[in-house]
Amino acid sequence: MATSMARSGLQVAAAALRAEAKSGARPVLPNKRNFSASAHHDDAYETAKWEKITYAGIVTCTVLSIYNLSKGHHHLPEPPPYPYLRIRNKEFPWGMSPNIFTAC
Amino acid sequence: MRPKRAPFFTTLGGGGEGGLHTTGAKWFMIESQRHSYHLVDPSPWPISGSLGALATTVGGVMYMHPFQGGATLLSLGLIFILYTMFVWWRDVLRESTLEGHHTKAVQLGPRYGSILFIVSEVMFLFAFFWASSHSSLAPTVEIGGIWPPKGIGVLDPREIPFLNTPILPSSGAAVTWAHHAILAGKEKRAVYALVATVSLALVSTGFQGMEYYQAPSTISDSIYGSTFFSATGFHGFHVIIGTLFLIICGIRQYLGHLTKEHHVGFEAAAWYWHFVDVVRLFPFVSIYWWGGI
Repeated sequence: MATSMARSGLQVAAAALRAEAKSGARPVLPNKRNFSASAHHDDAYETAKWEKITYAGIVTCTVLSIYNLSKGHHHLPEPPPYPYLRIRNKEFPWGMSPNIFTAC
Repeated sequence: MRPKRAPFFTTLGGGGEGGLHTTGAKWFMIESQRHSYHLVDPSPWPISGSLGALATTVGGVMYMHPFQGGATLLSLGLIFILYTMFVWWRDVLRESTLEGHHTKAVQLGPRYGSILFIVSEVMFLFAFFWASSHSSLAPTVEIGGIWPPKGIGVLDPREIPFLNTPILPSSGAAVTWAHHAILAGKEKRAVYALVATVSLALVSTGFQGMEYYQAPSTISDSIYGSTFFSATGFHGFHVIIGTLFLIICGIRQYLGHLTKEHHVGFEAAAWYWHFVDVVRLFPFVSIYWWGGI
C-alpha cells in the first residue's frame, strides 16, 4: 500500500516535471505554510470557532457554579490534637490565627 | 528627553528621517543601520532593580527576625522593584512601538526568553508535585502511615476544586480566540476576547480564595498542609501573574500596539497562560482527587 502510494506520488511528480520542461515555465509555489497547524483555515473562521468554544466554556462553568454553590458544603468535625497538626512555633504577622480575616 | 541629532549627520550626507540611529553617542551609525539588531541605550533600570532586590531580601530577613524597621525596608524594596518593572517595560514598549527597534531578528530574543522562562517554571512546579508525591505515595509512620494523614480534614474534590478546574481551560480557549482575532485583524473582537479571558481568570482566583477560606486544614498542618498549600498556592500565584500579563496585553490591544504581524508580548502571555491552565489539571488529579479521597 505504502509503496504503491509512494510510486503514484513519484509518477505525479515526474509528470509535473515533464510538463514543466515542455512549457519552460517556472513552477508556481504556493505562498502558504502547508504543514503549519493553521494552514487549512483562515483566521476569521478560527476566530468565530474559538469564540463559540469560549461561550460554551462560560455556559458550562456558570451552570457548574450555580449547581455547586446552591448545594452548600458540609463542615468536618475538629480532629484530636495530634502533635503534627496546628503547629504554631511563632505568631503570624497578624496574630496567632492562621486566617488573616478572622484575626483579632 | 532624546538628544537632538548631532550636526555632522547632515555634513556627512545624513538627514531625512529614515535612519534608525537614535542618539548622538551612536555617531558611527551614520546614514542607516546596516543590520537588523537593536543596540540598546544605557539604562538605569538594571541597577535600580538590583538595589530594590537587595532592600527586599535584607528587609525580608529583618522582618522575619526580631529587627527594627524590617517591614519598612521590605516595603521600600518591593515598591522599588515594582517601579523598576514599570519603567523598564515602559521603555521596552516605547523601543518596540514608537522607535520600531523590534525587527524580526530582535523579536527572536524575547521569544526564546519566554519559552526558556516557561520551561523553568514547569521545572519549578514539577518540584512541588514531586514533594507531594514523595510524601503521599509512601506515607511515613509519623503521620499514621496513611494519606491524607490521620486527623487531616480534606476538601471534597467534587466541590470547588472540580468547579475551578474547567474555568482555566475555558479562559485558555478565550485567549486562543483573542489570538485568532488579532491575526484576522479584528481589533475590537480581540479586546472583547481578552476581557473574557481576564474575567474567567479573576473568577478562578476568586474561587481559589473561597476554597482556601473554607479549607479545613492550614499550611502548618503536617506534610499534607505544607505540600497542598505550597503546590496549589504557587499555582494560584502563577494564575495572578498571568492575569496581570493578560490585562497589560488587553490594554495594549485597546491602544493599538498589537498588529497582525507583530504581537510578541501577546504571544508570550498566551504561552504563559496555556502553561498555567494546563498545569491546573495536575494538582486537580494528583492532589485534590487522588490525594484527597
